[in-house]
Amino acid sequence: MLDPDVLSRLLSRALRNGGEYADVFCERRNLLTYRFQEGRVHESGLSLTQGVGIRVILGEAAGYAFSDDLSIEALLQAADTASNIARNGPSGSARSLSVGAIDVRAPYANPEGDRGDVARYVALIERIDIAARAYDPRVVAVNAQIADEVQEVWIASSDGALVHDRRPLISLGAQVVTLANGERGTGYYADGGRTSLAYFDRVTPETIACEAARVAVLNAEAVAAPAGEMEIVVGAGSGGVLLHEAVGHGLESDFNRRGVSLYSGRVGERVASELVTIFDDGSLSEERGSVAVDDEGVAGQHKVLVENGVLRGYMQDRLNAKLMGVAPTGSGRRQSFRSMPQPRMSNTYMPDGTSDVDEIVRSTRRGIYAKSFGGGQVEISKGDFVFMVSEGYAIENGKIGAPIKNATIVGNGPEAMTKVVAVGNDSRLAPRHYTCGKGGQHVPVGVGMPTVKISAITVGGTQGE
Amino acid sequence: MNSDQAQTAARDAVAIAIECGAAAAEASASLGSRLSVEARDTTVTKLERSIVKSLEVRVFVDGGRKASLSTADFSHDALRGALQRVVAQAAAVGSDPLAGLPEATASDVPDLELSDDAILKRVDADGIDDVLTMERVLREIDARVDNSNGSHYSDGSSVHALANSNGFSGVYATTRASRSTSPVATDGERKRTAHYGTAARKLEELEGSVEVARLAARRSLEMFGARKPTTVRLPVIFERDIAAAVLDDVFAALNAANVAVGNSWLVDRCGERIGSELVTLVDDGRLVGMLGSSPFDAEGVATRRTVVVERGVLRTFLYDTYYARRLGAQTTGNAAGSGIGPNNFFLEAGAGSLGELIASTPRGVLILDTIGFATEHATGTYSRGARGFWIEGGELVRPIEEFTVSATLPEMLAGIDGVAGDLRFDSDVVSPSFRVAEMQISGS
Repeated sequence: MLDPDVLSRLLSRALRNGGEYADVFCERRNLLTYRFQEGRVHESGLSLTQGVGIRVILGEAAGYAFSDDLSIEALLQAADTASNIARNGPSGSARSLSVGAIDVRAPYANPEGDRGDVARYVALIERIDIAARAYDPRVVAVNAQIADEVQEVWIASSDGALVHDRRPLISLGAQVVTLANGERGTGYYADGGRTSLAYFDRVTPETIACEAARVAVLNAEAVAAPAGEMEIVVGAGSGGVLLHEAVGHGLESDFNRRGVSLYSGRVGERVASELVTIFDDGSLSEERGSVAVDDEGVAGQHKVLVENGVLRGYMQDRLNAKLMGVAPTGSGRRQSFRSMPQPRMSNTYMPDGTSDVDEIVRSTRRGIYAKSFGGGQVEISKGDFVFMVSEGYAIENGKIGAPIKNATIVGNGPEAMTKVVAVGNDSRLAPRHYTCGKGGQHVPVGVGMPTVKISAITVGGTQGE
Repeated sequence: MNSDQAQTAARDAVAIAIECGAAAAEASASLGSRLSVEARDTTVTKLERSIVKSLEVRVFVDGGRKASLSTADFSHDALRGALQRVVAQAAAVGSDPLAGLPEATASDVPDLELSDDAILKRVDADGIDDVLTMERVLREIDARVDNSNGSHYSDGSSVHALANSNGFSGVYATTRASRSTSPVATDGERKRTAHYGTAARKLEELEGSVEVARLAARRSLEMFGARKPTTVRLPVIFERDIAAAVLDDVFAALNAANVAVGNSWLVDRCGERIGSELVTLVDDGRLVGMLGSSPFDAEGVATRRTVVVERGVLRTFLYDTYYARRLGAQTTGNAAGSGIGPNNFFLEAGAGSLGELIASTPRGVLILDTIGFATEHATGTYSRGARGFWIEGGELVRPIEEFTVSATLPEMLAGIDGVAGDLRFDSDVVSPSFRVAEMQISGS
């Protein structure tokens, strides 16, 4: 996007007051959306983003400025602003920097070329509507959306590297509302990933529509969730939201470097039941959280976070890795050039355990089976989390019973992880539609999990004992 | 100068859209700058200053087919290329005769005092002083506050211009400043965190650094020794910031876009009682100097004061032009960038303090913080993870945490039996503290 000579000049200028490290993040993003509502294409949008963020790091401090004006004057001004962080620091000597040859990564399918084919997008969302309505006569409303994004980044750093990556991200989703006997039910399902529209030849709009409609029908018939502490069986796939909230955020290095996470200073210690192993892997193919390189130019990689219950390491961006004396793990991510990177999860999942899934349910006396999750949130320092069950069932005496609606689950992450009493042999990644928010920045992520049983957790239904 | 530049950008974008084949067009342009500073302990950990630009264009082609463009590139060549694509996209959208520009836009643009010179004059050093002060005060208050997730100061100024192909062109300027801090206190094996933040259009109305830090530190200390409560049904008091978060969910049910598609528990309820006598909800875009105020909305329609719920009776939903046409009503000036949004949306204050509300509660729960976002708008089912205090004999007897609080919004509005007088306008959706007669508490 910018000439290597310009990048070299900006890096030199950014470090004119000193500072240990500087980087220039150039981004160009093109997002195309079509939304379907009430039986027709309701609206379409095009969002174009282009800009440059310049950062200077000095110890644990960072100076930052961004510009969506790409003129050399505006960019030099941004470099000057970022350099101000070092103005009162230990005096640095001006350095003349030059970036090397461009290192091009772009492992994913290239969706360019068919973006002007309006009819192709429209056909996909129309098929959602047709399939959802055909699924059940109780379906009263169908909303569908398709999003096709391409983000291109160029990252130049003061250590001389210049990396380019291109990241496609597609998503096709359905929201279905059913009405039966005066009771409304809603269901949501979406899929996609870092791939091209051809993905929807494999995972068809019909599959997506029927899954959303199935949950909507189920939720219209669902009974109020029980309230109180009980056993929970977490479903394979989207149960990974639990890992993401209960453990994952607590292992991001910024919280740990500052000593504000419950997991701070505990590498090598037992932090969970020995059945618990957790990976974060930015190198998986096509997943939403995957990156060939992160937003600091470090390769996405497989990381062992927890192994048989023992904490092995944190997710590191450059700033925190340097301060903690370890290597960055390809976890530096940002929403756009308007924000500085933070250590973030990519695709976080638990591999297979050894328990038989049917046996996990049979051994549950009274509890709930939380088959899928809508989303969650965590309070890092205490580890308290909450997440919302989007498809759940009561379990009585080892048998799955009636569907339940509107269950919220609260717990404490580290505590819940010590109460994992069975891990199934059916690990899989969830459908690709999760987005994670942290400090006001949203990035796409993946989650995954086998069927897992936790011996005691608080379910916040409305039906008291 | 920025005002002229933004207004020109908006007008030019409209003209280019029409050249590209749009039957009608509307463009909003914003230009501004922002400063953001963060400190932890005695170190300034972030210093950012940037220029922020944005341009949003809505185009309508024949038959009310609409599409939109979002970009920061104001250059005519880039705009022309992008708008040609957007007009082509609009052709694929279903025909809808109700889609289009508003019949009437604001005829005057009153000065609502939304911009403050004192904020424009702030320099980096002022923000640095603020954040270092907050960090210092946190630690001075109590030795148990021994860490933080950072103290923040930010400010910004913008000009917002809007133009449409019916000849409307308006512009106004805003400023905003905020201070916030997140202390971490050590409670034996546990860490206690809290957050307190405040925002205002004018610097003199912004709570001071010392006060913000004191309030946040107190919040982190008061939760020491918190335990999980039992599972029980009890009266619940929502402290004002959490009460405001409940109003966000109430707003979603009043949003005509949700009502029109059946995704609201308030469908067909106009004219009916939906809350107790204490519930009067107002949306007012013309309050002088407030964060949710603006002379016109995102379609150029004049903002106004709308009494939405009057002493428990639903009077109207909140509309933009399109959904007003759909539901046979008039727009209430609530068009936002994408959809329908609040101006200043609030529950009218009662009398008395939060303390008096607590004192009049024999047994119950005070909610100080919630996590999660599970509200099902079609049914109004509300459920959150929460922390706060157990109330016994009108007094806060012990901190409680790791429980959920749930009910439906219809039950909650009907059950409001106490509203305090502690309303203040530090956001666009605000509320005084209120009490709901009974909700489900799920703990151990």
